[in-house]
Amino acid sequence: MNNFLLTLTISILFGIGTFLILRRDMIKVIIGLSVLSHAVNLLIVSAGVFENGKVPIITGSGHGGEITGTIYNDNLAEGIFAPLVSAGSHVEFVDPLVQALVLTAIVISLATTAFILILAYRIYEEYGTTDIRELRRLWG
Amino acid sequence: MDSFNAITAAIFLPFIFAGLVPVMEKLLKQRVGWFAVATALTCFILIGIAAPDVIGEGHIVQGTISWMPSAGVDFTIYADGLAMMIGFIASGIGVLIMSYSNGYMSKTEDLKRYYQYLLLFMGSMIGMVFSGNTIQLFIFWELTSITSFMLIGYWRHKPESIYGATKSLLITASGGLAMLAGFLLLGNITGSFDLAAILNDPQVINAIKEHELFLITLILIFIGAAAKSAQGPFYIWLPNAMEAPTPVSAFLHSATMVKAGIYLVARIHPIFSGTEAWFILVSGTGIITMLVAGFLAFRQTDIKGILAYSTISQLAYMMTMYGYTTHHEPGIGVAAATFHLLNHATFKACLFLVAGIVAHEAATRDIRKLGGLRREMPITFIIACIAGLAMAGIPPLNGFLSKEMFYESSLEMGASLGGIFTFLIPAFAVLGGVFTFAYSIKLIDGIFLGERDKDAIPHHIHEPPMTMLIPPAFLAFLVILFGVIPSIPIHHIIEPAVSGILLETAHLHIKLWHGFTASLMMTIVTFILGILIYTKYDRIAAWQDNFNMKNPWISINYYYDRAVDSAKGNAFRFSSRSQTGSIKLYMSAMLLLMIALIAIPAAILATNIVPSQLNFDIPPYEAILLVLLIVAALSAAILPKYLPAIIALSALGYGVSLLFIYLKAPDLALTQVLVETLSTIIFLLAITKIPQKYKEKISFSVFTRDILIAITVAASVFVLLLNTTQGIVDPFASLSHYFIDNSLLLAGGHNIVNVIIVDFRGYDTLGEIAVMCLAALGVYNLIHSRSEE
Repeated sequence: MNNFLLTLTISILFGIGTFLILRRDMIKVIIGLSVLSHAVNLLIVSAGVFENGKVPIITGSGHGGEITGTIYNDNLAEGIFAPLVSAGSHVEFVDPLVQALVLTAIVISLATTAFILILAYRIYEEYGTTDIRELRRLWG
Repeated sequence: MDSFNAITAAIFLPFIFAGLVPVMEKLLKQRVGWFAVATALTCFILIGIAAPDVIGEGHIVQGTISWMPSAGVDFTIYADGLAMMIGFIASGIGVLIMSYSNGYMSKTEDLKRYYQYLLLFMGSMIGMVFSGNTIQLFIFWELTSITSFMLIGYWRHKPESIYGATKSLLITASGGLAMLAGFLLLGNITGSFDLAAILNDPQVINAIKEHELFLITLILIFIGAAAKSAQGPFYIWLPNAMEAPTPVSAFLHSATMVKAGIYLVARIHPIFSGTEAWFILVSGTGIITMLVAGFLAFRQTDIKGILAYSTISQLAYMMTMYGYTTHHEPGIGVAAATFHLLNHATFKACLFLVAGIVAHEAATRDIRKLGGLRREMPITFIIACIAGLAMAGIPPLNGFLSKEMFYESSLEMGASLGGIFTFLIPAFAVLGGVFTFAYSIKLIDGIFLGERDKDAIPHHIHEPPMTMLIPPAFLAFLVILFGVIPSIPIHHIIEPAVSGILLETAHLHIKLWHGFTASLMMTIVTFILGILIYTKYDRIAAWQDNFNMKNPWISINYYYDRAVDSAKGNAFRFSSRSQTGSIKLYMSAMLLLMIALIAIPAAILATNIVPSQLNFDIPPYEAILLVLLIVAALSAAILPKYLPAIIALSALGYGVSLLFIYLKAPDLALTQVLVETLSTIIFLLAITKIPQKYKEKISFSVFTRDILIAITVAASVFVLLLNTTQGIVDPFASLSHYFIDNSLLLAGGHNIVNVIIVDFRGYDTLGEIAVMCLAALGVYNLIHSRSEE
């Protein structure tokens, strides 16, 4: 699953984010942080994905990799919701732990983004600029 | 209530009631001090409940409440005679000090803070002495250091208070850390932090004595004791601690906290005594400190200064006596030291309280200005005489008895060492006694006798209120009682304590009159020499001042001040250089560090990539999505106007959520859609009032530099990720299998990701919610903090 183009895309997102957080304009810096957090989330999730791995949702009543009921195939190319895997066969799930981590990270990045956005907005209200260098000059 | 519960209650009651002080202050107003007195009295009674068990029956009360069983550390009580004695001193003197404070502290002071600190200290001290394991002992030990710090610095506006408080904390707390290291070594040798397990097993004690780490363990623990009890080079904090309110000095810095080091030495006595190292370290430090501090007391002009040096010197007596040991008789001076510990607590606390009365009424503590107060405050004069003469060792007061015992044990120690020490050790003891005699007389003479200096103190001086007079009077009464009828304290306090230290039943016989012994001769010599020295007192003090002026390097304070100043200077220079305030600099530093940590391993890993294994088999719909993502990110970066840039950013976010579906993460996709919607709305709200575009003029060199950093980061990530997918980087044994196997079994959930979030790692999610709440509060406050135009 994890192909060359996906890897390249994640790296490019990293590069763009890095370039943006080095800017002087606060809004651009915040956009850069958002791009970077997307890149990090994708990096972590893609590390847990492998060829023919299944969505980590247990269908049926089995535990472990053993399936006692039926499981829905999740390959988009072959169609969703078609019960293809028969009972008793062994199923490999993609890593659920990294997904849980990233789920938390997404929510926290919303909180921080909101906070620094309002911070930037208030700084503009108080000092009349969003330029970081200009701000340092004003503070002396 | 059984003994164990009573003692546990006595430890925690002061902590709980300290929290109630602000409430009581609302009710009682300025009389809140009496609430603290009641608390201390309750503690005294609670400890008294255990007395029949420990002192009457000779049991050791022990008990455990499970605390950190996995680390082998529990909340353990170990109450023997020694612990009882210091517990009684801490709570008993606490009652007197807090009553006295009601008169001493001005009504305008921050009384609530004062009594809170005092109660916290008392609880820590009681907790310390009853601790049954070394880790718990360390925790309470450091709590006494911290409360002492807060009390010394009680008058926050005075620079001297801040200096004294900082000094005491630096010295006693770092001594405590050395002690902790010693305890850990001890735990390593014995395999237990439990005091009872070590003390009650002779085999364990022998194993410690033969262990190769014996000496270093002893030295580390002793450093803690010496720092706390102001012994050896660590004495310098105690004179500066006199900046505390005088009742605090009487309580912490003479009667109780400084005894903690002595207590520790007594507590570890069975483990380490009977060795040369013990005698040389403990008695050696004690003798040197006793002589130096006694001598240095002469040049003090502040009466609390004299008392501070005298306390150091008196503590050194006890240290010396606990250090007296031979292979056959490990505890030559234990009884004498323990008795002196009790006596010193009575007469020295009393003297401090007298000093407080004098300072309160005469508004000065300078002994050069004071004098002739005997007519104006006769009762105070009598109390001061009793306590001062007890310190000087005059019969029939209690100081006389314990000093006699000190001489006796010095003779015995000298005799068992033989050679020149037969005379040298008793001679040192006598010399220490001579200094003590001289400054004790100076205190009485300087304050109360002689002529009244009408220029320095013009106003009339009168006796203090009864609240300030009764506590020292009670202590003076004890001084006489213990001196005239020594069998009372000996049988009920000292014998159980000595039995606790030596781990065998002790019987002592002490009478006021015990015939013309060698020690009585030494006492008489002490008095004669003391009177001789006293006639030269001022000349010696002047010589000391002169010598110190010419040779500042002789003082340990000189090195302490230089070390602290240079540490402060270095810290300031370091922070002003590293924290310049430029965000760009911080950012570049972080990125450079990241590149250094990642790029080099990545470059090495890059050689491992096998091109033929790369997966170029890309479904067309996915390829389109990925190209869209790149275009969206680039647009967000390049577009100069904010609105289009934010739209591009949200396109990127929705694209990412689509991509999550391909990455088999439906939960993430759902969350991402919601979060992206919200964050787009917040972005748009935030930029409404900001100019809609900002064009940064980027010079070519800056552009090149930033692009280079960005490309390096991107390349490192690229190489790392390729390696991960090829399995060249060893994966760690994954925790994930546990969650996959157990989510249905233990949590009954089918969606493994959801089960992890809300069940297995529920506390992480709680933390996440807390972050959201904090961010929301922050946003709210930022918006409402607009300055009024």
